Amino acid sequence: MSTSTCRPHEHLSRRALLKGALATTAGATVANWGGLFNTAAVAAEAKKHGKRCILLWMNGGASQIDTFDMKPGRSTAGPFREIKTKLPGYHICEYLPKLAQQVDKLGIIRSMRTQSPDHPDGIYHMHTCYKQSERVPHAELGAMIAKYLGQVDADLPSFVRMGPTGNAGSGYLGPSYEPFSIERGGKLPYFTSPYLPAANEARRNDLLRFMEAEHQKENGAGAYESHRVAKERAWRLLRAKELFDTTKDWPQHESLYGATEFGRSCFLARKLVEAGVPFVEVGQDNYDSHADNFVCHKANMQVLDPAWAGLLIDLERTGQLQDTLVVWMGEVGRTPTINNRAGRDHFIRGWTIVLAGGGVKGGVVYGSTDADGREVAENPVSEGDLFATIYTALGVNPRAKHFAGTRPIWATPEGAKPIKELLS
Amino acid sequence: MPERCLSRCVSHGLARLVTVAICWAAWSGPLAQSGEPLLRQIIDTQVQAAWQTAKLKSAPKADDATFLRRVYLDLVGTIPPQDETRAFLDDPDSLKRDKLIARLLDDPRFATNQATLWDLTLFSRQPPNPDVTRNRTLFREWLTAKFAKNEPLDRWVRALLLAEEDGSELFYAAYNNRPEDLTESFSRIFLGTQLQCARCHDHPYTDLKQQDFYGMAGFFVRLVVLDQGSTGSGEKQVKKYKIGEKGSGDVLFAGNMKDAKPGKKGEPVKPAFLRGGPLTEPPLPAGYKEPDIKTGTKSLPKPEFSRKEKLAEWATATANPYFARAAVNRVWGQFMGRGIVHPVDDFEADSKPALPGLLDALTQQFVAHQFDLKWFIGELVRSETYQLASTGPAKEALPKLYERARLRPLSAEEIIASLKTVSGDATQKTDGTTGEYFIRYFGEPTNGQGEFQGRLGEHLFLNNSENVRAFLRRKKGNLADTILTSTDPWDRRVDRMFLAVLTRLPSSAERDKFTAYLQSDPKPEPLVEEALWVLVNLSEFRFNH
Repeated sequence: MSTSTCRPHEHLSRRALLKGALATTAGATVANWGGLFNTAAVAAEAKKHGKRCILLWMNGGASQIDTFDMKPGRSTAGPFREIKTKLPGYHICEYLPKLAQQVDKLGIIRSMRTQSPDHPDGIYHMHTCYKQSERVPHAELGAMIAKYLGQVDADLPSFVRMGPTGNAGSGYLGPSYEPFSIERGGKLPYFTSPYLPAANEARRNDLLRFMEAEHQKENGAGAYESHRVAKERAWRLLRAKELFDTTKDWPQHESLYGATEFGRSCFLARKLVEAGVPFVEVGQDNYDSHADNFVCHKANMQVLDPAWAGLLIDLERTGQLQDTLVVWMGEVGRTPTINNRAGRDHFIRGWTIVLAGGGVKGGVVYGSTDADGREVAENPVSEGDLFATIYTALGVNPRAKHFAGTRPIWATPEGAKPIKELLS
Repeated sequence: MPERCLSRCVSHGLARLVTVAICWAAWSGPLAQSGEPLLRQIIDTQVQAAWQTAKLKSAPKADDATFLRRVYLDLVGTIPPQDETRAFLDDPDSLKRDKLIARLLDDPRFATNQATLWDLTLFSRQPPNPDVTRNRTLFREWLTAKFAKNEPLDRWVRALLLAEEDGSELFYAAYNNRPEDLTESFSRIFLGTQLQCARCHDHPYTDLKQQDFYGMAGFFVRLVVLDQGSTGSGEKQVKKYKIGEKGSGDVLFAGNMKDAKPGKKGEPVKPAFLRGGPLTEPPLPAGYKEPDIKTGTKSLPKPEFSRKEKLAEWATATANPYFARAAVNRVWGQFMGRGIVHPVDDFEADSKPALPGLLDALTQQFVAHQFDLKWFIGELVRSETYQLASTGPAKEALPKLYERARLRPLSAEEIIASLKTVSGDATQKTDGTTGEYFIRYFGEPTNGQGEFQGRLGEHLFLNNSENVRAFLRRKKGNLADTILTSTDPWDRRVDRMFLAVLTRLPSSAERDKFTAYLQSDPKPEPLVEEALWVLVNLSEFRFNH
């Protein structure tokens, strides 16, 4: 069995839920769906107790030298110029101007030294903090957060994933903690549109509930319960699915996040964590710039900058930033050396990951690389250290113990240490 | 907490061992004189003794309907059609269970079902080399033929390990150039021993050393997978392989993985049987030259000395200390839910099983019956233990001492087959995509400890997909159609729906509820479809109970 740390949903009593439901009966937005029984209550409870996490996944691996660890004047620098940030003496790339104004919210780790140099193994490793080659079914970050910060009674899934992010699976934690994967911009996947009219749907579901209640009289096994709970969750999700629809509120937010699909996904992520979803992962593609690194990165940053900065501003404005950890990372960094196709290749000897918000100190630059960015100069950070930092910031025990068969596995490997300097 | 738990389990285990030994002695006296007891009696006696010791009250015997559904799924991989259910329930013959078992064991679906189970055991839902193992038609046909003629387990496993028969090559082919991974899988599946810890470091809790791991890997290191081209295309493409073996080459051992350095290659290790000493191997003939292997090489000459043959011989020998025990424990787990050693493939970790005497007895009898799997399975399902009810307030799906029947989620394959049976329409297609959906949503329903977890995706699929709906909505000649065209009163038709989906008659409350439901609107067609949907969505349907 897993360790018994105290989970937020255990604080979430039936009474709190019922109260919340009463408080939302007046909510007109959900009238067509007969009222979201739990969403508002869960959101209110999550606001009080719950930490959340948004992972901005840079698929392919973003370049540290062209973003947060610039090497002006060195042969590895590339053509981008530096600009000043809110943090005196700390400069970032000219294509991140909006983010430069949010640096006081960021905890920047410039000294990632990792072990998996390619995409499949890197994606796995940076989602689980364990090597893929161990072939133990490790659980990815979102699954772990769903387990420890998710609420069984919620209408919404505990782990939502959007866009290109890779996927390591819920592993030993089991299928209950799999992500609900939606397309970029929030389009819902297959099998989320009922083929029956609502009235037929309602009457057949009632008949099912009758049958399950009959069955339950003689059958107490937890497996049956798990089946019933998942069925109810699937129904509740459909009742809550308009939350994924940003048609109405996107126009007012477009200028803040930038009029892009990624920006819109970030906005949806903000909405979802506000509604109590503890983990949302949003992917941005096209970082794997083995050729034309600077063209790729310039274009990507113009999408990323307003979206990320907008997300931080919006989280702060809605009072959620102190409880929402925003992680910016991909599977690898990119080489300091610029290859003969003006590209940068995969690099794991010293690269950058950025944390912000919940549980993390802002305006901190941790670790550094040498003059050309070829090696970590101080404070190397491993995958395990990073995950220990993330888990600690979110109030999850980084040494939570689980089992795959009889083999014990911990949330982070032995020896992983949270970065104290970054934790608030 | 885990440490405490462990010591508690160990002391329980010891106490049990002693009492079971006493019961065993007391029991074997009188019966031994009146002829050899049947294995099913040995099972029941030992299990019941364990209940007494643990002061457990067992569940009652499962009713006929429950037994019929359970044994049908376990033996032939689907629920029974409703006419068979009705006939079985009405049959007054006191030997009907026994006769049903005999019939199902001889059903051709018994062979396909066993082949599916072993195929999944060998390759899992996430096969090691998807490109090679995506289409396993030939391999499954090879396995099915083995079960169809009830070839003894040791014989077909030997053939699998020799990989010389057409269709038998895929297990090795999946691990092309990965002798270490193959070692892990082979040992786990056939020896019940998980060696993966010892791959990187000496095992922390047992006597297994890294040298043991690399000693076993030495048997596989000379295997060569030779591509024989493919037939068909797209989904139907079947790739063929032959397995060759080189006459030289050793596995390299570089010490604890923690201290591994790039470029450090390690020392050659000679093959050694797990806890069984080194392989005696003649020296290579002077001037031996390895045949040239290029892309397109279709076959290799047999080496003078074959390590593969030695391994196959050792692994499946009657005297092998692991093989038969691992096999009976695995098959026991298939039918009883929990292995006597649990998980079924981890004998090192569960070194104090709850019923050690029973595991011994099963192993001895299995070997004495020449590894006859069909006989063995027949004895298991004829035992009173297997035929207990699963009902009751207890939370646990897999009772430790088998005092209730286990709950097992239906596999994706069983769900598809059962939906076909429900619909009664043999022409109902399940194309590749549909099958893929079922495997995606029902394929791996458990967590790392084998506990069932409902998943959101499964229910979104069940609730909203036309792929499931296709089995339920009216189509000429299918179940919905016969219900709708019937002139029987509605309560009779409700009975048929229950028999078809749940393999039982409804309770009177259920009958009333459904009868009212089906008449709640002048248009019955949507109602029938909805009612059938309800039945296949029940947790009662989701499990073999």
